[in-house]
This record gives sequence, structure tokens and C-alpha cells, in this order.
Amino acid sequence: MTTKPTTKKKWRVSRRGFLIGAGALGGGLALGYVFGWPLVQLRAAEALDRGNGRPAGEIATDPAVWIEITPANEARFYLPKIEMGQGVHTALAQIMAEELGVAWEAVRVVQADTARGPVDGDGTTGSTTVSSMWPVLREVAASLREMLRAEAARQLQVGAETLSLADGVVMSPGGDRLTFGEVVQRKQGAWEAPAEPPGLKTGDYKLVGQSMPRIDLPAKVTGAAIYGFDARLPGMLYGAMAQPPNLGAMLKRAAPGTAAAEPGVVQVVIGKDYAGIVAESRAQAHAALDELDLAWDTGKLWTQTEIDAQLDIDPGAGIVIQQEGDGAGALRDDVIEAHYATPMAAHAHLEPQGALVEVLADRARVWVSTQLPALTRTAVAEALGLKPEAVEIYPLYVGGGFGRKYGSDVAVAAARLAQAVGRPVHVGWTRTEEFQNGYLRPPTQHQLKGALGADGRVTALGHWQSSGEVAAAFVPGFILAVTGDFAAWRGARIQYAIPHRFTRTRAVKLPVPTSWWRGLGLLANTFAVESFMDELAHTAGVDPLGFRLRQLPAGETGERLGAVLRAAAEAAGWDTPAPSGRARGLACCSDVGTLVAQVAEVSLEGSKIRVHKVTCAIDPGLIINPDGVRAQVEGAITMGLSSTLIEAARVVAGRIEANNFDVYPLLTMADAPAIEVVLLQGGAAPRGVGEPPIGPIAGAVANAVFALTGQRLRQLPLKLA
Amino acid sequence: MKLSINGQTYDVADAPERLLLWVLRDELGLTGTKYGCGVGICGNCTVHIDGVPQRSCSLQLSVVGDRAIRTIEGLAETQADGSLQLHPVQQAWLDAQVPQCGWCQSGQIMTAAAFLAATPHPTETEVVEAMSHNYCRCGCYMRIKQAVMAAAQTTGVAE
Repeated sequence: MTTKPTTKKKWRVSRRGFLIGAGALGGGLALGYVFGWPLVQLRAAEALDRGNGRPAGEIATDPAVWIEITPANEARFYLPKIEMGQGVHTALAQIMAEELGVAWEAVRVVQADTARGPVDGDGTTGSTTVSSMWPVLREVAASLREMLRAEAARQLQVGAETLSLADGVVMSPGGDRLTFGEVVQRKQGAWEAPAEPPGLKTGDYKLVGQSMPRIDLPAKVTGAAIYGFDARLPGMLYGAMAQPPNLGAMLKRAAPGTAAAEPGVVQVVIGKDYAGIVAESRAQAHAALDELDLAWDTGKLWTQTEIDAQLDIDPGAGIVIQQEGDGAGALRDDVIEAHYATPMAAHAHLEPQGALVEVLADRARVWVSTQLPALTRTAVAEALGLKPEAVEIYPLYVGGGFGRKYGSDVAVAAARLAQAVGRPVHVGWTRTEEFQNGYLRPPTQHQLKGALGADGRVTALGHWQSSGEVAAAFVPGFILAVTGDFAAWRGARIQYAIPHRFTRTRAVKLPVPTSWWRGLGLLANTFAVESFMDELAHTAGVDPLGFRLRQLPAGETGERLGAVLRAAAEAAGWDTPAPSGRARGLACCSDVGTLVAQVAEVSLEGSKIRVHKVTCAIDPGLIINPDGVRAQVEGAITMGLSSTLIEAARVVAGRIEANNFDVYPLLTMADAPAIEVVLLQGGAAPRGVGEPPIGPIAGAVANAVFALTGQRLRQLPLKLA
Repeated sequence: MKLSINGQTYDVADAPERLLLWVLRDELGLTGTKYGCGVGICGNCTVHIDGVPQRSCSLQLSVVGDRAIRTIEGLAETQADGSLQLHPVQQAWLDAQVPQCGWCQSGQIMTAAAFLAATPHPTETEVVEAMSHNYCRCGCYMRIKQAVMAAAQTTGVAE
């Protein structure tokens, strides 16, 4: 790892929040932008850390470069979002290059960190990266483009309106050419940001909508890509922290014991509520933990049965989040009822969390895999007694996030150990630490009630849902008091045009930590609602596709939902018989403005459910990179299918049952289906893609199993009787 | 003791009980080989020992001895001008845009390269069998299968 040169930025703040500087390489032009309140502060309010009320993320107030033209005519894009496999570095670069008008080959993507580029208080989360950055990046890039056009016109002594710009080159009607780099190099005096908002492209895209190859992949096929677990510095040591023996155990008393005498141990570090080892190797650090003299207050040793019982549906408890028509009042007589449940799930990101920290006299430097650098910065600053500004965060590639790489556990541990020992320390969790000390996707329960009219339509539908907490660990209680745990009920509301609709949600703080997991409540809630819709369709004797199509919501969402349903059904051959021994099931969802429909085709091998093919139609608004969307859909379906068929995390005697993948296996290629993705585009702006396609998969498979066997499976993972 | 890694000889401390994965990553800085589970299940740490795919997390140096170790860093050929000539499997991975987060991909690629060297003309069933002991949490299995089949069509797969 190279230490980045700290260039003194000379910035001028210009109109409308633009910041203009000379560029990190000298002689170039850099354009920054102070994020306005509407975009960032709203999220910051949501992201307050519940524990002690400190802000989760620093809002960017310092000059921050977003984009830079070098004299060599490279376009350097400083991206505040984290690349964890979603392809966002590529998609965001496409958006910027499109609006700036530079050749793809001239694009260089730089991961922003706290020393250069925008500080992102928001994190890389919730399928919002492309949709939230779309307006900002376009405006910054278009502003820079217009500045270059105006300056080129001055240099060429022609009217700016006569110039054409393409592929990083300005051309005059007389045939004069200047590259953007030349314009920047020949500039005398100060740059001015354009007085008027620049015009933005609204179509005729060259890069947007193209499957540009992923920028990060060459380094990922040669082993050169560096992740948080890979970070290295000369003279570094390895650390490990003692972990509680069971859920909720508190460290009562800690003494070094004989750990200091163990091989390779450099230092035993005992703090107020922690005890750790610094050693020459990871193995030595972990081995020496056993020789610490620790006393724990173990508290109650919970069982899974006790935990599940806390989620029993209580019809009068929780927050009503949907009440239309007569709501639950329409569900008293002649109702069809069913109860659904989903278990806890681990994220099982394959790169365990890892962070390297170097503590210097007046500051600290952190190299880490994190979805939320700002939270990591605050947590490390607090652990070290530094101001957040004195903590530099260098985000590296994230080897799987899925909502888990929010926590700062490893960064805080490494910071404490590095401070104590006076050398850089890396802390990387073992797989067992990941299973035992993380948070999980919460268990859920769902009571569904529905009533059918004489015409075979649903007249009333109600959903009573309970879940372990999701957002509560990260969002202040006063927001949740109003909204309920909006993350836990994601996907729970009834979307169909049904006269009487009702949804009630209850989030419970369980003795096992639960929080974000890809899609949040989307997979569980969609499984329950879409399976129940299938039950109602079969009871009504109506084809499940037609049943949904004739109860679509009004307006744009309904039109787009209808389109994905029809597209998925057509591609899957819904109207033709499935191959012998197989059957198909259908489910759909609407999430973050994206519509998804999936058809699963299944058969049985003994009592084992085999999913042969999943056909998915998705409308994520404007598509920036079609192959990138396909990859996210394939990934979400595969991860969701693992939950559908095999995954369940359980608490046994106060601990998570699994220490490793022998007890908690993941889906492998042997059980991975063929996946066909149909892309539809509804609208002029991009929506989210990372999570929505994980919604329908469990319901689609369960509905297919019913069509094949007549067995209605109402619990994940699906198991035939 | 000496280790032969990617055609070079490395001197490492004489402690033969150490596990190859951590010697590669933490002592020699060859961080392309990844840790995932430490018990030989996930396959992220797969390297070649004399051309055979092995789980380096569970392999003591004493077992490796002086046999030839190849890691992901040694799979591509470095040309005279310093550029890298990707192994056909790596090229197939790029062509199919296989990786998402990428953490498991070194192990996937090393598993596929060894498999194709031993089985140059595999059936799809053989590919699935060979590749079903490597986890990918991002869910790239379909593309991995496509890439292995495509690499089998190109020449020069054998090591």
C-alpha cells in the first residue's frame, strides 16, 4: 500500500457551492461540490447512532474534489461510494463520463477517502447508490463541461455555442481541436463556475445504457485487488479481541493471565470492557486469547424457542402502517387465514471483516472494508479519544457487504490495540467470530387474512407482521416511534388494488442482535404476501398471473408491475405446460421504485426441491449498465434461493449454533438454477437494483412447489412434509 | 525452510506446522489467496500444489515441502515487456464479467484452471461437479459455469 501524498488543496468556492481547484497532480482542473442539505442531511438524521446519540457520519463540509481533468486529458472521478460487487464504480463513471463528454478510455476511477474526494455521510446502502448519485454527478460533470467549453471558446477566439465537444475534445467549426487537457493546461487566471445550471442530457446517450465492462474486474481476476482483510503496512502486527462466550455476556473482570508468555505475543491489552492480544501472527494472537484470565457475566442462555415466542402475532400490538377502506374491519367473517414464518439468516459475506489501523501522535489512519466509512470514523475517533477529523479512513474493496459491513468492530479493536502497542495492527475476524458476534437477519412471523368476492377478486387483505428489529440499531427511536421499524416492514404493505387493506407491524428487540440484511424485510414479507396471494388465487380458481393482473394498483406503478408480470410470464412460457415432473410459480414485488416479477420452475428429487430455472423481469427505471443489472439480479436470486432452500441460523444454549459453514452451508453451483433476466425500462431516472430482485424468489419457489405437489409450504427454508 | 511459489524460491522461518494460507498472505504479502472459513469448506483459499488444487488454509508447510506452489498471482504469464498475459481462465472470467465482490474469485479461478488442465474437454455436469465445492455469496455461479465452459473451448488451458 502506498501512502498518498497530501497535497495542499487551494480551493475557491464559487457560485452555487462549486469548488474549483488545481487538481491533485498540478496543472489540472478539479471541480468539487458541496453536497446540499436536501441530499445528505435527511439521511444523516436517520443515521444517528442510537447508542449514545452521536452522529453516525460527518457531513462533508470541507472542499472535496469530485472530478478532475489532468493535462494528459484523463478524467479522474473521485467516487464516494464503495465497490462491493454491485458494479457501482463502473455505473457511476458511466454517468459522469456521459455528461462530461469524455472517452471511456480516459476515465480513471479513484475511491474517495477522508483525504481526497467527497466524504460520504450516507454510506453505500439500500440500493440507493446509482439513484441518489444520478442527479449530483450529472450536474457536477455538466458544469465542468460548460466551463471547459467557455474556456476553449476564449482560447480559440470563437463563440462557445459554435463549439462541439466529444470524447474529451473540443472542436471549432474551422477545424481547430483542443483536448480538455490542453484547455486546462493553457488556462490563465481563475476558473469560474457557470452562472446558470448547465443543460443536462436527456437522451441520445452513448455510455449510459451500455454494458461497459466493470472497471474493477481486471484486478479481481489477478489477485491484485486489495480488500480490508488484505491491508498491510511495514512493521504491522496482528490483533485479536476476546469475544463473549454467549449472546449478551458482559466482561466483568479481565487480567492478563499467562497470555503474555504465549509464543509470538507482543502485548496483552486490557481495557475497561475489553481484553485483547497483539502478536506477531494472527494464529498466535487468537491462540493466546485462551490464556487470558477473564470473568464473564453470562446472563440468561436463550433458546430459539424462547426467541421465536417473542414474535407471536398479537393482533392488537404494533403500529398500523396501512389502513384503507374498512381495513381490518373487513376481515371478520368468512376469511381465509394463513401463518407464515422466516428464520434468522447470516450474511456470510466471504471476506470476514478486517481493518488495519496505524495510530500516530495526533491522528490515526484506518484501512478497512466498510459500507459506511463515516460511522467507522466516528467510532474509531471515540475509541482513541481523537476528533473525527483526526481519523483518516481509507475504504478498500469490500468482499461482500449485504448490510453487515456497517459495524466498526474490527476497526475499533485494531485502533485500541494499535494505540496500546505503538505499531500498526490488523484485526481480521475468523469465520467463527463472524457467525458468533455479528448481527443477523431477524426472524419474522406473518398472519395473513383475506376475503374473496363472488367475482373471484380479493375484497379485503390484512397482514399482521412481527419481526426482530432491523433499523433500530442505527436509527433513533423518535423516528421509529412514528414510522415503526420501516426496514423490518419493507415489502409488508399490500400493493394490490383491493378495497380493504390493512397492515400492522411490530418490531421486537430480541436477545440476539438483528439488523440489516440484503433487502431488509423484503424477502420475508414478499414471501408471506405473495404466497398468500397464490393461496387466494387457487381458492378462487383463478390463474395466479391473471389473478394479479386484474388487481394491479392504479397508475404508473401498476402499469410497470403489470409489464414485468407479463414479461416474466411470457419468457418463462407461463401459458405452456411445464416439462414433465415440473411446475412453475410466480411472485412479484415493488421496492425502491423498481418492479420485479419472477417465475420459478421446480421439480422434486425425492423430498428435495430442485429449482431448475428462474425467469426474472425487472424494471429499474433508466438502466445505466444492462449487464450490471443482470449480474445483480442473478446474484440476488441466488442469495435469496439459498435462504429459500437451506439457510436458517439458530440459537442453541445462548449461542449461535453455527461456528462455520459445516453447520450453516450456503447454496453451491450444484443447486444454482439457470437464470434468465428480462430488462424493462420505465422512466428517465435510474432506481435501485441490488435488493429488489431478492424479494420474490422465495414466494415464486413456494408457489411452484404448491403447483407441483399441492403442499403449501409456509416456512423458510422450504421443507416438504 | 524454502518454499517454491510461482517459480520463485522464498525463504521462510523454519516452523513447518504453520498453515500455507497465512504464510502466503501475512508473511509473503501474496494476498491474492483469500481466507473464507479456515476449515476447507468454502474454497476461497485454493492454490495449486504440483498442479493439484488444494485448500491452503488447511495445509501445513511440512506437507507442502518443496513441491511447486502456484497462487493466483502466478497464474498469468508476465511477458518480456512486463505486461501480463492472462491465463485463459482469467480471460474467460473477464469475458463473462464473472466477479461481483471478487473475494472468492481467486479460489474459483484456481479451481477451474486445475480442473481444466486435468479435464480439457469437460461436460457441463463435470464442470458443475468440479466447481460445486467453492462458495460464492454474491451468486455468480451461472457466470462461473459459462466461463469455465468457454475457457475449455480456448487453447492453452493446460498449465
